[in-house]
Amino acid sequence: MPALETVELRRRFGPHTALTGVTLTALPGSAWLLVGPNGAGKTTLLRLVATALRPTGGTARVFGRDVVRDAPAVRTLVAVAGAADGAYEALTPREHLTFAAAMSGRPVPPDLLAWAGLARVADRRVEELSQGLRRRLALARVRLLAPRLLLLDEPFTALDAEGQHLVEDLVRTVTERGGAVVLATHEWERGLRLADHVAVLVGGRLVAQGPRQGMTVERLRTLVAAGAAPPPVSAAAGGSGQ
Amino acid sequence: MSLRARVAQRGMDPRTPSALETGRADLQAHRAAEAGAAGASGVAAGAVPAGGGLTGLRRAAAVAWKDLLLEWRRRETVAAMVFLACLTAVLLGFAFGGRGEVAPAVLWVALVLGAVLGVSRLTVAEAEQGTLEALLLYPGAREHLFWGKWAALTGLLTALAAVLLPLVAVLFGVAAGPRWPLLAGTVLLGIVGLAAVGTLFGALALHVRGRELLVPLLLLPLALPVLLAGIRLTEAILGTGRVGPWPAVLAVFDILFLLVAPILFELVVEEV
Repeated sequence: MPALETVELRRRFGPHTALTGVTLTALPGSAWLLVGPNGAGKTTLLRLVATALRPTGGTARVFGRDVVRDAPAVRTLVAVAGAADGAYEALTPREHLTFAAAMSGRPVPPDLLAWAGLARVADRRVEELSQGLRRRLALARVRLLAPRLLLLDEPFTALDAEGQHLVEDLVRTVTERGGAVVLATHEWERGLRLADHVAVLVGGRLVAQGPRQGMTVERLRTLVAAGAAPPPVSAAAGGSGQ
Repeated sequence: MSLRARVAQRGMDPRTPSALETGRADLQAHRAAEAGAAGASGVAAGAVPAGGGLTGLRRAAAVAWKDLLLEWRRRETVAAMVFLACLTAVLLGFAFGGRGEVAPAVLWVALVLGAVLGVSRLTVAEAEQGTLEALLLYPGAREHLFWGKWAALTGLLTALAAVLLPLVAVLFGVAAGPRWPLLAGTVLLGIVGLAAVGTLFGALALHVRGRELLVPLLLLPLALPVLLAGIRLTEAILGTGRVGPWPAVLAVFDILFLLVAPILFELVVEEV
């Protein structure tokens, strides 16, 4: 059973089409790097899979569970660390993790705060923390949730080298336990080091996907540019002339 | 050779569907392997932990604890609610010259206005702080979020009533005497219904612009049965009116919204 299987997944926001038929299969144990320019639909794809949005068309399944029909079950399998940390300003990191534990029905691992480098600020309010520490808290929360499908949206933002190791550790932990990871980032070099598969999304279309082997940042740039390029004149003329 | 190793050996070519086809072939092989493994271990991939009543209760309690703790630290919502409700009571006290017979109406109007403000702050603030999506994506049914938010709002409104009741009693020179438990029970019944409809409409307003204006527009007409029943029952308790059908009106309102609101809440927060 695939960890994630999307078939012709589409999403419109009013007149704007954010995703145009994305078909992708991520097997358990795989880590996917999702790249594309701003507005390519990366965050939309992650939010659809996480059940934060409903698809306009097509299907998405997480370990066989449909994201629309079986959304509560999907949410037990998926965790998202998004671009926004989603933290309550007036709560402390310790309180956040206690809350996440109660909401997910999982105990707080005793070493979780230390793992995230938050032990010394565990009882300070989030509003007093730096952006990097807030990102670490988001990663700690995701680790507590122990997802089988981990969705990371720009996870390296504001993180120092140690914080970036946390992302790597999370990705390794999830994939080694038979889960899968989809990582959307503009930091392609770091992403390539973590992922074993790559998908290139441009203008809401998946223009390339496959194993990472042989993939470089330069090649990714070429793929993104090729996907963003307008169709050849002859093809466009042929299409409109029919 | 492991699945990942086999997949890693394949190349990636955007010009042909070979990459996708490769994935499909691996997928079929993996499905065959997994079918055997699942049969042997008895554990299906993607198994979902059971979410019984206790789990739901714990999740609702966590949401209520979080909301009340945030409110305790900020004191923004409750301060605004108490200020508005007390100001309303004082102004109406001046307007009516402290006539005891209008005390029930003043009490309930002030309570409902305070509730409107509390609903706007409690639910909408979550969206404005960017924490709502993370809350909605926790595992489990979103009905539990409703019960948590409802409990928190009920707590805040009870705190408001605890301030408002003595204030109105002093301003209008009225006292429930030995019937105060009846008055407290009536107020609590009203708060339960107000909190249910308020939690629902607070969530509904998340989808629209001008939500701070929309909440009162939606909530005030729907709160009318609570308002009328509360006023009439308080009059009866104070000995200036008859009980009539109002206990039933209040009870039916509460039961209806406690049954329907959690279901509708799940629908309206589906996509925020």
